[in-house]
Amino acid sequence: MYIRNDRPAPGAPVVDVRHVSKRFRLRRGEGRSFQDAFINLFHRRRRSRGESHFWPLRDVSFQVYPNEALGIIGPNGSGKSTLLKMLAGILEPTEGTILVNGRISALLELGAGFHPDLTGRENIFLNGSMYGLGRGEIRARLDDIIEFSELGRFIDMPIKHYSSGMYVRLGFAVAIHTDPDLLLVDEVLAVGDAAFQNKCMRAIYEFRRRGGTLILVSHDLGTIQAVCDRVIWYEEGAIQAMGEPTQVVMEYLNHVALREEDPAPEEAASSVPAESPVPENHRWGTRRVQITRVELCDDTGTPRRVFVTGAPMQIRVHYRAPHPIEDPVFGVAIHHQNGIHLTGPNTDLSGLTLPTLQGEGQVVYRIPALPLLAGDYTVSVAVHNRADTEMYDYHDRAYPFRIAPGQNRERYGLITLGGSWEVPTGPADACTPELAAKERLVG
Amino acid sequence: MTSSAHAEPILTPPRRPWAPVHRLMELYRFRVLLYYLVVRELKGRYKSSVLGFLWTLLNPLLMMLVFTVVFTVILPNYAVPQYPIFLLCGLLPWNYFSASVIGSIHSVVGNANLVKKVYFPREILPIATVLAQLINFLLALLVLFALLLIFRMPLSPRWWMLPLVILLHTCFTIGLALILSAVNVYYRDTMMIMDVVIMAWFFLTPVFYPLDVLPRSYEVLGFSLNVHRLMYILNPMASLINTYRDLLYLGTYTEMDFFLRTAVTSLGVLALGYWIFVRLSPNFGEEV
Repeated sequence: MYIRNDRPAPGAPVVDVRHVSKRFRLRRGEGRSFQDAFINLFHRRRRSRGESHFWPLRDVSFQVYPNEALGIIGPNGSGKSTLLKMLAGILEPTEGTILVNGRISALLELGAGFHPDLTGRENIFLNGSMYGLGRGEIRARLDDIIEFSELGRFIDMPIKHYSSGMYVRLGFAVAIHTDPDLLLVDEVLAVGDAAFQNKCMRAIYEFRRRGGTLILVSHDLGTIQAVCDRVIWYEEGAIQAMGEPTQVVMEYLNHVALREEDPAPEEAASSVPAESPVPENHRWGTRRVQITRVELCDDTGTPRRVFVTGAPMQIRVHYRAPHPIEDPVFGVAIHHQNGIHLTGPNTDLSGLTLPTLQGEGQVVYRIPALPLLAGDYTVSVAVHNRADTEMYDYHDRAYPFRIAPGQNRERYGLITLGGSWEVPTGPADACTPELAAKERLVG
Repeated sequence: MTSSAHAEPILTPPRRPWAPVHRLMELYRFRVLLYYLVVRELKGRYKSSVLGFLWTLLNPLLMMLVFTVVFTVILPNYAVPQYPIFLLCGLLPWNYFSASVIGSIHSVVGNANLVKKVYFPREILPIATVLAQLINFLLALLVLFALLLIFRMPLSPRWWMLPLVILLHTCFTIGLALILSAVNVYYRDTMMIMDVVIMAWFFLTPVFYPLDVLPRSYEVLGFSLNVHRLMYILNPMASLINTYRDLLYLGTYTEMDFFLRTAVTSLGVLALGYWIFVRLSPNFGEEV
């Protein structure tokens, strides 16, 4: 049962979820018809066997109190969005009760509640009316909304011509200006550019300063930790952990790392292929030397997919050279998933001259302690001649691995420099003479 | 760690306003949305036609022309004086009704993107379709009034009942629209079936013929059926059109008890439709 109450008692939770379960029917095809219903009259048994159910939520209970910011994390398909849709009143719980005290604005999907043929301005009125605002109330906020959305002269253009970023800006601008008691945000902010995301974050802080309550679903764990007071890790239809953000995020990441680790050995064992598994569009070169296999191993030589910050790593490159090749150079590269090229060492840069290659063999690049922070990375490998005029074989970003946080608590940026902090106990300006001189120069 | 550790008591169970009242209050709160959906529907209809909303006025006139030619020149069977007026008094209400019903069947399913992503009282969708048709109907009535003046028809002493009749007619139409739009979410065949049903209904309703052409009684298996009575009992549209004709065409009093019975039927259908819709609508979010 879903209940909305506009006049809550003081001190009551904004959201009160009690023993809520949700069942979806898994259907073979789209929609239903009398024909199906008629057939099912005669095939009762088959129907009950063929129709299966799936519970994205089972007996979930939690409360959100005024002015709280709750983050919800979990893998794709874990039911987070279903939960949010139920909070918004779009889906009805199969069992249990959801009580929402106060006015909701929900930003669940890109462009939801917009009509493509209407202009941005008209859509502000349409969208505002979907939040239950009157025309006067919308008109009073119109200028603020247009200014916040940064749409400028595009505001009088039909929004079917908008980019997805513009949709988000308009959608968020309306949602935040409706003065909701509760703001539900599902991931959509990721679409905006960095400047607009910052603006949204400021608006969310401002919204909370005024006493607003926030529920945020995101895969961006950094944002979740920065914004939320409390985090729910939601998976397999149940709340796995709830509490202090850093703690819950850490538990979640470690869990993810463990689960990814499991299938890795089998994969490694089963993928000792005659042919390289690298897709052709990630591979080029003359193949006079072929890279036949690449393994990412820990210090014992066991292939792994998940490593921990600070752990050693070996990149083993297996090659085959049917004919003698003089003076080859082997190289590797590591990219972060967002495309940043982090490092690209090769044998030449390390001052090595390799012997002539003939037949099969391997080259190993040893990393004593990975300085990478939690995230997804890829390894590229290459072999070319010393002049770098002939590429024999290049596997571009073909070997993914993941870094789990492990014991390292650093979480800003991509790498740790392994530096240490000290707080000198002597006079506070122990190293200032130089600094003061610099300041004078600059000033 | 499970959630239930955090969940239990502390709280008083939620007090719930009486459900139907709460639901109606919610509908009122979203009246602006209703307004925009009606505007959207009206704008969309004439978007790329040259004459635009003039069609609202032209369409009944042209249909009147067709029916008048057919039933006074080709098949001159009924001696109905001022047939064009007689016809329009039935045809305009009928068009309002049938266009609303056909249009609203698709209203929930056709707005799946809204229903799946935004919360609002879903009954707004079929109601908006009917209200957009109501506005068309009112404009078309202006044409009828102009013709009444041209044909110098007498005005009924109970002309003030006309808004009431329109209101009841609208209630009946919304009731049916609510039922059909909700059922269509679960069974998409509703649309196909209703296409045929509406056509049959049109011929079974005295729109282009007077009720008097039907036999008063009809023998079925030895039972004598009062066709006129049955028509009014089984077909609220016949009663409504009959009332429109009383007021606009005949210019007579309409019988009060007959009118009251029509009112009860219309409001009953509205209540039934609303009840069915409210029962079915919580699952729309996953069924559309």
